[in-house]
Amino acid sequence: MSRLSDIAVRIEGPVRLGGLGRGVAAVLSELVGILERVALGGETATIDLRSLPMSPDDRIELQSTLGKGEVHATLHADGVSTLQETGVSGVWWVEHRDRHGDLVAELIEVTVIPKILEASTEDMAMSACELRTRLATTHKAQAGMDHATLS
Amino acid sequence: MQRSAEDLVVGEMLRRHGISRRGFIKFCTAAASAMALPPWMGPAMAQQLQNAQRPSVIYLSFQECTGCFESFTRSFAPTMESLIFNVISLDYDDTLMAAAGDAAESALAKAMRDSFGKYVLIIDGSVPTGAGGGYCTAGGKSAVDTLREAAKGAAAIICVGTCSSFGGIPFADPNPTDAWPVSSIVSDKPIINVSGCPPIPEVITGTLLQYVTTGKVPDLDEHLRPKAFFGTTIHDRCYRRPFYDQGKFAKTFDDEGARNGWCLYELGCKGPTTYNACATTKWNGGTSFPIESGHGCIGCSEPGFWDKGSLYSPLSATDWGKAGESSPRQVLELAAGGILAGGVLGVASAGSGRLRQYRSEHPLDPEPKDS
Repeated sequence: MSRLSDIAVRIEGPVRLGGLGRGVAAVLSELVGILERVALGGETATIDLRSLPMSPDDRIELQSTLGKGEVHATLHADGVSTLQETGVSGVWWVEHRDRHGDLVAELIEVTVIPKILEASTEDMAMSACELRTRLATTHKAQAGMDHATLS
Repeated sequence: MQRSAEDLVVGEMLRRHGISRRGFIKFCTAAASAMALPPWMGPAMAQQLQNAQRPSVIYLSFQECTGCFESFTRSFAPTMESLIFNVISLDYDDTLMAAAGDAAESALAKAMRDSFGKYVLIIDGSVPTGAGGGYCTAGGKSAVDTLREAAKGAAAIICVGTCSSFGGIPFADPNPTDAWPVSSIVSDKPIINVSGCPPIPEVITGTLLQYVTTGKVPDLDEHLRPKAFFGTTIHDRCYRRPFYDQGKFAKTFDDEGARNGWCLYELGCKGPTTYNACATTKWNGGTSFPIESGHGCIGCSEPGFWDKGSLYSPLSATDWGKAGESSPRQVLELAAGGILAGGVLGVASAGSGRLRQYRSEHPLDPEPKDS
């Protein structure tokens, strides 16, 4: 016996509620309320999936019930993150992994677009500054080359 | 002129290390998730920390086994290195630092002087007071003197592990070094106890991050532990709880019940009276926790856990029902009520001595009678 999965432990199946796991039905019900609120211009919301007492089966069922939508974004920042819009418009399944590929956060975000995808105005201002410096350096180098060609 | 690392705000420090704003939002989101904070707290923490000065942290180790520090280094989210390099300024840690001897002592003195009144003091290990503090000394100073001196300039003290929080194993009967928890030595500073033997890595880093982010002591329970991590018992969140409710218990570690994953209560599991995040945050990056590996909880994050009877006897056959009986806080409360500390120690010691004698005389009787 060398792996955890080799230990013969039987896990109770999830409690079913109208064809759906109890945990799944609860999250879906919450999503309906949030979607209605956000659609009317209300506050966006995030559900931390790791804080919910869901079994692995519940999680898979929730993911397959929500399905996959049109947008999939991959973020490379201190590890890879994936942001998948689900088949339910405005509901995003977000997975953050660290540099070792371990899952460090798993969220459902209900929003037009997840905030983390937006560029910040401070970063944009800094980028403009950097670009300006690079341009100035290029112009200076070009001027030097022109001067050398003329002489 | 380029500013020194000490003067940089967190955002600048991150950029220096090539970590983008998105990377930092992600780091804070993961930390908030690990701390069981509301999900919106992650981006809010990132926003707040971007322009904050990195707080100075001084880590002192006293009478301990370094297991807590080993645990600290194994935090997945946030990792210790990400904290050290980006969020805090770890100005003294004798386990990590390359300096030794006078150079190390000077580093500690400088850190305390430069950030007086502002630094976070982390203590690992109990504080032995016997033999004039001689059981634990470094640089010619006893742990108790070093603690008193370092505490003067601390904004807050975080006790990492059951030893610094409640005395731990050194405090256990007969407590040969007269060891005490930090809260028995220092009474005029905010103290946060992160108990556990060792504590869960993410609970250590999460508590530290939460404090440096908000600058406030989080909500604490009666034993000064953050409620975010110690708000519920292991039993409350245990995946084997349905079997307890159904009365299905493993009787031995290899019987049919154990193989079926039934409740480990009768094998001595202390989950029902132990407050910790093992069942939710889990260990080794969320892989599992002791009960998931087939062993009951030993209650290591509770005060006096070592003196409350066998780790393998059911709760009903031990002193665990009498929560906090040997808690140093309770002893202190008695002391504050006018009873001399020496007398209290004598009573506590005599009490546990009587218990031990009773157990040796009545090995089959689980419940000592009141005398």
